[in-house]
Amino acid sequence: MYYMILAILFPILAGTYLLVRKEMKNRRNLLITVGAALIITTALVAAALCFSGNGMLTLFSLTDKLPIIFKVDEISVIFSVMTVIIFVCAGFFSFEYMKHEEKEKRYYGFYMIVFGILIALCFAGNLITFYLFFEMLTLSSMPLVLHNGSREAILAGLKYLFYSLCGAYMALFGLYFIERYGNTLTFSPGGVISAAAAAEHGGILLGVAMAMLLGFGVKAGMFPMHAWLPTAHPVAPAPASAVLSAVIVKAGILAIVRVVYYIFGASFLRGTWVQTAWMVLALITVFMGSMLAYREPVLKKRLAYSTVSQLSYILFGLAVMDTGSVTGSLLHVLSHGFIKSALFLCAGAIIYMTGKTRVEELRGIGKEMPLLMWCYTIVSLGLIGIPPTGGFVSKWYLAEGALSSGIPVFDWLGPVILLVSALLTAGYLLPVTIQGFFPGADYDYRTFQKKEPSWFMTIPVLILTVLSVFIGLFPNGLVNYLMQIIEKIV
Amino acid sequence: MDFVQNFPAISILLCLFAGIISSGLKGKVAKHVNTVLILIVTVLSASTLLYVLDTGEAFVYVMGKFPAPWGNEIRAGVLEAFMALFFCIIMLLSMFGGRKKLVDEVEESKTFLYYVLTNLLLSSLLALVYTNDLFTAYVFVEINTIAACGLIMIRQNGRTIEAAARYMIMSLLGSGLLLMGICMLYDLTGHLLMSNIKEQVALIAASGEYRIPLLVTIALMSIGLSIKSALFPFHAWLPDAYGYSTVSSAAILSSLVSKGYIFLLIKIIYRVIGFDIFGASKIINVLFIFGLMGMIFGSLSAIKENDIRRMIAFSSVAQIGYIYMGIGMGTQAGMAASVFHILSHAATKSLLFIAAIGLTDVSAGSRKFIDLTGAAYRNKWAGVAFTVGSLSMVGVPLFSGFISKLLFAQAAVQVNGKMLPALIVLGISTVLNAIYFMKTVIRIYTPVEEDRHSSVTFKDMRLYAVTLVCFIVLNVVLGVSSQPIVDLIGQGLAMFS
Repeated sequence: MYYMILAILFPILAGTYLLVRKEMKNRRNLLITVGAALIITTALVAAALCFSGNGMLTLFSLTDKLPIIFKVDEISVIFSVMTVIIFVCAGFFSFEYMKHEEKEKRYYGFYMIVFGILIALCFAGNLITFYLFFEMLTLSSMPLVLHNGSREAILAGLKYLFYSLCGAYMALFGLYFIERYGNTLTFSPGGVISAAAAAEHGGILLGVAMAMLLGFGVKAGMFPMHAWLPTAHPVAPAPASAVLSAVIVKAGILAIVRVVYYIFGASFLRGTWVQTAWMVLALITVFMGSMLAYREPVLKKRLAYSTVSQLSYILFGLAVMDTGSVTGSLLHVLSHGFIKSALFLCAGAIIYMTGKTRVEELRGIGKEMPLLMWCYTIVSLGLIGIPPTGGFVSKWYLAEGALSSGIPVFDWLGPVILLVSALLTAGYLLPVTIQGFFPGADYDYRTFQKKEPSWFMTIPVLILTVLSVFIGLFPNGLVNYLMQIIEKIV
Repeated sequence: MDFVQNFPAISILLCLFAGIISSGLKGKVAKHVNTVLILIVTVLSASTLLYVLDTGEAFVYVMGKFPAPWGNEIRAGVLEAFMALFFCIIMLLSMFGGRKKLVDEVEESKTFLYYVLTNLLLSSLLALVYTNDLFTAYVFVEINTIAACGLIMIRQNGRTIEAAARYMIMSLLGSGLLLMGICMLYDLTGHLLMSNIKEQVALIAASGEYRIPLLVTIALMSIGLSIKSALFPFHAWLPDAYGYSTVSSAAILSSLVSKGYIFLLIKIIYRVIGFDIFGASKIINVLFIFGLMGMIFGSLSAIKENDIRRMIAFSSVAQIGYIYMGIGMGTQAGMAASVFHILSHAATKSLLFIAAIGLTDVSAGSRKFIDLTGAAYRNKWAGVAFTVGSLSMVGVPLFSGFISKLLFAQAAVQVNGKMLPALIVLGISTVLNAIYFMKTVIRIYTPVEEDRHSSVTFKDMRLYAVTLVCFIVLNVVLGVSSQPIVDLIGQGLAMFS
């Protein structure tokens, strides 16, 4: 059980060590330290997942009623495995990428701290523990956003902070009420609101649920509090954007899963105005995110808007509260994680090798770095939802769940909007591929030169691509595993 | 009578005597006298606290030979002893934190006066905490005001003299109102001892006579004390007084002096007027609303400020607003939250003032934000301490500020009419706090090319760094293991009535 604490504390301590120690003379030493820390953390998380069983670990108590608890359950497993894979891949990618950035030590320090905090969020056993690390996540990921210290980056960081704190306070607002009306803050499948409390304070609890959805939804970029995301994600260094966009936003999703299915309970919220409002917001975000991405000329920003849209696919699935749709959501958590981090790493590699950031500059890029662009194309197909990639399976379950949910209007409107958005996704991702591989007749082949980046950059992207395809080819084991949890909570 | 029961009286008298003796000593000796004095009083208060916890009830100590309705009394319960202990600890740390800086700030020939004033201030604080006599309380309120004025003015430049004059005028206005309140109460009840007044007030209130005079009395005393503790519309004196005085003075003024008055108000609410009678009057709503407004407008002023010391000072206005909001809720839980916030704010605000001076010192003494860029790299200890203080002010879990916020919210959820305004303003104020504190943190951690300023290391500032660490530990202790302290506060408040 103590592996849980180790898996959380080790990366945080390693990061703190990196921050406080003197500048290393040799860049190699720094990389070896970071690499070792990443690998040890992976091992510790693996040990925690294997050996923790169903044990609860109480670390200490903030007050009598607010203990800090850690616990591993199936949701923790999914989210922590994804976190570890992406963090390790993006970490190794940074080894090459961060050569041209300054203040590397600070970057790796906060990178490791954020890693530890995300693991802690996965393992959190009650709402107060979750909230504690949620606040810390905001504060420790902010330095990643304002890494380059330009005015633009600092403004983006402050915007991120402002939105996140507003969201966190709305969540805290809910926490006060749940502490009063619920029996406990501990996550338990099916919720903790008793029937008596639901009957007596139903109205106020629904309002509280909405506030918490909106509050945690800030991290997941849900409309109307999504505006920070496209500003904050692209200004970070590319590997940091990858983890921000693929993992850190998933903390918002994790929060909503916990609040809806482990605190309020699906049966309490099903059929209420909260569910309707939530579905409306999610669908608006899906459509709006895709539209904005479609119009955006800068590649990294385009990817950030795409994150806004894709995260709301997940939120929509969770909002429908049907077995199939929730399965689709959790699958999409994984596949979007792998795909989006791969996309951001590709964008990073392009910037690193060519310095080009805008989509229309990328003509012929497929000729220059074919391997990378192949990866880009494959994961793009995944995000659009074309078989046999991971995105297809998750979207299939999402649409099927929505269709069979029997919620009036939304059972057909949802899939329609998802389909339209998939078309838009194709529209904003594929031009890079098309122009990249088919630059047209007037492309000047004399200036052409091979620019494939080093293995430190390509291998992480390859791994993420293979994983995203793997989920699509062999989803059965994963789906069965997810079904076990979902039957308990939906 | 146990010997320990003498301790509160002894500590007050010790401080007075130390003040008198120090006036004939050289600055260096007076410094040591002051340190030893605070340490002794800390020990005495701690033993009083242990004694009261052991016996489980408050004791009354008769000063002189006259018995109850005429004589002068001291009363010590759990909360009184705990406050005295806490005030001593903060005072000691604040003195240590500003010690090195004092050499630049105060002329050498006047250093001894600084310690005289500090000793007097401590004596008056202890007296405010312990006394059971309303008129004695008034006398020590005046001593406190004079000492505080001196502490502001001792750093001789134009701004501080102006600030001290303003402080003096506002403070005397407050004392005047308080005195009028006390006079009216004496008129109504014929007593000056708190316990006796309370019995009479209960009778008067029950009979339904003198309704208006009683209301006016409550209003006069509440407003008088809230002027002195810088509640929102009466806060105009505060930013200059805290912003330009010496660093120890700023820390002591913000975390102790204003808190002493608030503690007196809480005592008056419980031990003079009676909690229920006070709660039934409309004055409580006025305090609640002023508190809420203070939380917002204090933060807004802080956001506009371009001077780090004044920014921290304006943040005090917001934090005092929190405390009055808790008092204004009119429940035990709200009151307990306020008392906890007195502790948490005292621990945090003095930390911020002391950390800020470390940052300005390595930026050529400039307090403008633009010059503070990268200051946290030049003075690492102060940078970390300032960050911790800011996080605590914003209310991030693990630090003391979060627990106060939690307690306020838990209290608010139980009060029907005041729940929504309290929670919404708490939210707004949290975000506003975050804006200006995190802005500062980012600023001090923004690296600069070619650093013109020199940096300091641990060796240059041992005492300063150790003080900062003590403050950080205090903050984290309040934030992590708050339950025993909250229990203690509950026990103390129960002992009040």
